Amino acid sequence: MLFFSYFKELVGKEVTVELKNDLAIRGILHSVDQYLNIKLENIRVVDQDKYPHMLSVRNCFIRGSVVRYVQLPPDGVDIDILHDATRREARGP
Amino acid sequence: MVLGLQHFDDRVGDENGGPRLDSDAGEELMLVERGVAIALGSRPPDSPGTLYITTRRVIWLSDADKGNGYAVDFLSVCLHAVSRDPEAYSLPCIYTQIETEDGENEESESSDSESHGDLELSNVTEMRLIPSDPGQLDTLFGIFCQCAELNPEPQEEEEEENSWFFGSEEMADDGSDSEWQLSEHHANPIGYANGDHDLACTVHELRINDQRFEDAEEVESASRNGHQFSG
Repeated sequence: MLFFSYFKELVGKEVTVELKNDLAIRGILHSVDQYLNIKLENIRVVDQDKYPHMLSVRNCFIRGSVVRYVQLPPDGVDIDILHDATRREARGP
Repeated sequence: MVLGLQHFDDRVGDENGGPRLDSDAGEELMLVERGVAIALGSRPPDSPGTLYITTRRVIWLSDADKGNGYAVDFLSVCLHAVSRDPEAYSLPCIYTQIETEDGENEESESSDSESHGDLELSNVTEMRLIPSDPGQLDTLFGIFCQCAELNPEPQEEEEEENSWFFGSEEMADDGSDSEWQLSEHHANPIGYANGDHDLACTVHELRINDQRFEDAEEVESASRNGHQFSG
C-alpha cells in the first residue's frame, strides 16, 4: 500500500501520467485508490498533436493497470522520507 | 476474458429485450440509459440505442438494428472522461479509450479501417457514448468510475508485496541508514526473506546476538601490542 499512501500525499499537486500506450496526460491529481486508479483534473495532453481528441476533456479517470509512469513534481518528493518508507515496507510488519 | 470491444447480440427474450447477463458470475445491471448513440474510433455515431452498464462491462444495443450491439469489459477500458468541447468532438459525450488485444493503442486513422467500411473491432481504441441528454454525462462518468473500481486487475499468484529483493548484509540495522542498498544480483543471501519475515527476524538475531560470532579471547597479552605476524 506504499504507493497508495504516497500518492494520497500528492493529491492537489500536478503530475504527468504516462500510459502504456504512450499517451501522456498532465493534470492535477484529484484522487487515487488502492488499485492506483487515478483521477486527474484540468488535464492537458502532453503531445496534443498526436492525440487531439482529448483536447477539451477537463477531468479523466485512468485505470491503474495501464499506467506506465507517474511523473512527480520535483517539490512534491521528499526523497529521504520516500527512502525510509520503502525500506520499512520492504522489511514487513 | 478478452481484451477489447466485442460484438454483442445476446438479448433476453425477444428482440426488444435487454442483454443477457452472466448472473451466475454475479454480473448485475448498474444503469440503463436510453437514447444513447455510440461512435467507435473515427466513425460517425451509430443510430440511437440503449446503454446498459453492468458491474463488469459496458453494453450498447442498437434500437434500429436489433442484431447489432457492442460490449466491452471494464478491464479493457483504460481511460474515460467527459468531453464537452465542440471543437474536440461535435457532441457532448463520454470519451473512452480501450485497451486492445495486441497492446497497441494507435490513434491513427488506419487503426480502425476506413470510416465507412468494415469495422475491425479488435482495432477500436476509442469509443464515445453520446447521450441524447447531456445532463446525464456526469452521472455516466461517475458510474464508469465506480465500475472501474469494481474491476481491478485479477490477482496474480504472487502478491506484489512479497516480491521485494533484499540485499544481504545491509539487512542489519546498524544505524548507518545511508549505506542501505538494494542489491539486484544475489543468489542466496543470508537474510533473504522472500516474504517470510519471521525467518528474516530469526536470522537477523542469530547473526547479531550469537556468542559463537564473538571474537576469540586473546591468549597472550603481548599479542595486543604488536599486530605483526612473525615471518
